[in-house]
Amino acid sequence: MVKPKLIDENGLRIDGRRPDELRKIRMEVGVLEKTDGSAYIEVGGTRIYAGVLGPREVHPKHLELPDRGILNCRYHMASFSVDERKPLGMTRREIELSKVLREALETVVFLDEFPRMMVDIFIEVIQADGGTRTAGITAASLALADAGIPMADMIAATAVGKVDGTLVLDINEVEDKYGEADMPVAMAPHLDSIVLLQLNGRMTSGEIEKGLEMAQNAIKKIHAMQVEALKHRYRIEPEGMET
Amino acid sequence: MSLGMEKRGYAIKIMKNKVYDLLKIGKRIDERSLDQLREIKIVTRVVEKADGSALVSLGKTKILTGIKVEVGSPYPDRPNEGVFTVNAELLPLASKSFEPGPPDERAIELSRIVDRCIRESRAIDLEKLVLIEGQKVYMLYIDCYVLDYDGNYFDAAVLSAVAALMSGSLPVYRVIDGRVELAPNDRMKIPLRTPPVSVTMGLIGDKIVVDPLPTEEEIADTLVTIGIDSDNVVAAIQKSSPGLLPVSMLKEMIKLSLVKSQEIRAKLLEAVGNGR
Amino acid sequence: MIYFTENELVIPGQLLADNGRRNGFGTYVRHGKIYASTTGLARVVNGVVRVIPVSGRYKPQRGDKVVGIVSDIKPNAVEVDISGELTAVLKPSERESTPLMIDIGDCVYAEVKTTGIRGTVLSNEGLQRITSGLLVTINPAKVPRLIGKKGSMVQILRKESGCDFWVGRNGLVVVSGPNPSSEFAAVSAINLIEREAHIPGLTERVIQLLRKLRGGGSGQA
Repeated sequence: MVKPKLIDENGLRIDGRRPDELRKIRMEVGVLEKTDGSAYIEVGGTRIYAGVLGPREVHPKHLELPDRGILNCRYHMASFSVDERKPLGMTRREIELSKVLREALETVVFLDEFPRMMVDIFIEVIQADGGTRTAGITAASLALADAGIPMADMIAATAVGKVDGTLVLDINEVEDKYGEADMPVAMAPHLDSIVLLQLNGRMTSGEIEKGLEMAQNAIKKIHAMQVEALKHRYRIEPEGMET
Repeated sequence: MSLGMEKRGYAIKIMKNKVYDLLKIGKRIDERSLDQLREIKIVTRVVEKADGSALVSLGKTKILTGIKVEVGSPYPDRPNEGVFTVNAELLPLASKSFEPGPPDERAIELSRIVDRCIRESRAIDLEKLVLIEGQKVYMLYIDCYVLDYDGNYFDAAVLSAVAALMSGSLPVYRVIDGRVELAPNDRMKIPLRTPPVSVTMGLIGDKIVVDPLPTEEEIADTLVTIGIDSDNVVAAIQKSSPGLLPVSMLKEMIKLSLVKSQEIRAKLLEAVGNGR
Repeated sequence: MIYFTENELVIPGQLLADNGRRNGFGTYVRHGKIYASTTGLARVVNGVVRVIPVSGRYKPQRGDKVVGIVSDIKPNAVEVDISGELTAVLKPSERESTPLMIDIGDCVYAEVKTTGIRGTVLSNEGLQRITSGLLVTINPAKVPRLIGKKGSMVQILRKESGCDFWVGRNGLVVVSGPNPSSEFAAVSAINLIEREAHIPGLTERVIQLLRKLRGGGSGQA
């Protein structure tokens, strides 16, 4: 495998983007019928369905908590979502990401508003092209809002990477594979706080700061798209709105 | 609106007779007639990384199938045939009655029914999938994911698997000096003979309902799925529910399924296009 | 200062108000400011800022009439499934000498007596056991439309379909009529209401549908 050139002479990336440019993003809310809330997201070639079930009674019952609710999160990739077929069953990576994503979402969900109940979040990756955990949590946040789960804030996310020495925003799969570092960041935009942060690779503290700044700006844009997607979903006067 | 409630451990006593009474006047709880299919939507090539893919909606039931191709060894007793396997997963977000975890008996049954329809109808021309006889053949992994469940994942799964095969393509390998080498940028159609389709029916009393809803599946005396190839020959049958199936009813069901399969096949060909 | 407009959809985390107003359902307070905690329409009612959620999930309130299915009978309580994910209970009263004549799988219509952190309890008084009918599940957010102002819509449904209706605030509705044809008409009307609740002229369309379906006569296959 030959490492491709990730930044060309014009400073453009392998897919023609500028370092601070996001891929094309599409979001839709309320795409599945049997979930209590759902969303679909495309970020470049990454495509993900997110679904929320709940609040509902806890199974098995002995796991229920008397004073607050439980959040479960499952991040899962379809076998055909990646270049080399992924065998069935949860891999170690999926288990780790399920935990990290759950903890990020738990940060903003008001668990004490549904004691003795649980909320299940399902993130199903049907095609992976880099940034699946960040696109996944962005969609999960929309699905939670669609399901009416009480939260302190929405969550929007993106990944910053370093390729051929340059900091770039929203890395795709090739950049992830051959770059020097990748840093997924998820934030609660109104709270101006980070809820998910990981770093894989080597970055100086200056690069991390600059990277976070790039991420923050991008997250503002992604959050604005979330608001649009929710407004579009509920554009007809919602019923049952008697006061 | 849905009728009844999602699957629970106890029967909904007040419903069963009422549903049957409606059937006697030719009506179903979602206003369809007894032999009417729900709206079918088929979209192919939805996942570019997959070698073939199709998203099928049957009413509100939604299934996404993707195909991945690898090169591997044939079965020892079939050295001149390619290999395919079918897997199905009932994703927990599709229904509150699906638990996360390894495929349960329902998922395994579904995958085997889809497999049977494709295998027994000889839909895939397995002999054209051989690279080096006895050593290297194409291996097709057909994986079906139920994304949304509103009854009858059987027919939706068969349809999405077949649509994915029909619209999919294989990487081309050349055999040079006994070695198999990938010819980059070259693709070929998956060699298919016939697109099979399936028709699932529920028996409620002496009434047969086609393409059942979850409540109908729950109330039915039994469910039967019939797979049919394009020569109008039955290739697979599965009785997938406990309960009595009178022989006369089965005969009716087979007749009905032959008629309905034409309708489904027409939809399939329309979506996938003649030349594929 | 209020930071939202009347018909604007607000989303979790959005700033709604400051300057020490009172906050109600669907909101939370941080550093003296009120933020939305749920997606919906924000309103100020009697000086209280609250958000009416878009999601139709049912939350039991005292006094609600609900339809449920008896799911289990335990020594101290009868469990009633009121939405497929919420279970309420009926507690036998100490004063009752005869136990409630209830079986698993029975359909009941009852009032919510209490609800809270310990669960939901249904009242034994006025409990109705529904022996037969078609059980329909609709989005709980549409129930007010199905009932209508002061019960006007459900009255029309009863009159034009000839059926009995038990409408649960939890979105479960039972329809029972003299023949399958009228029950079918009733179910179709409920379907229409759920689909087109937001389109004006609904009442007229419901009446027309019911007349058309019943006019076809009963017993026609």
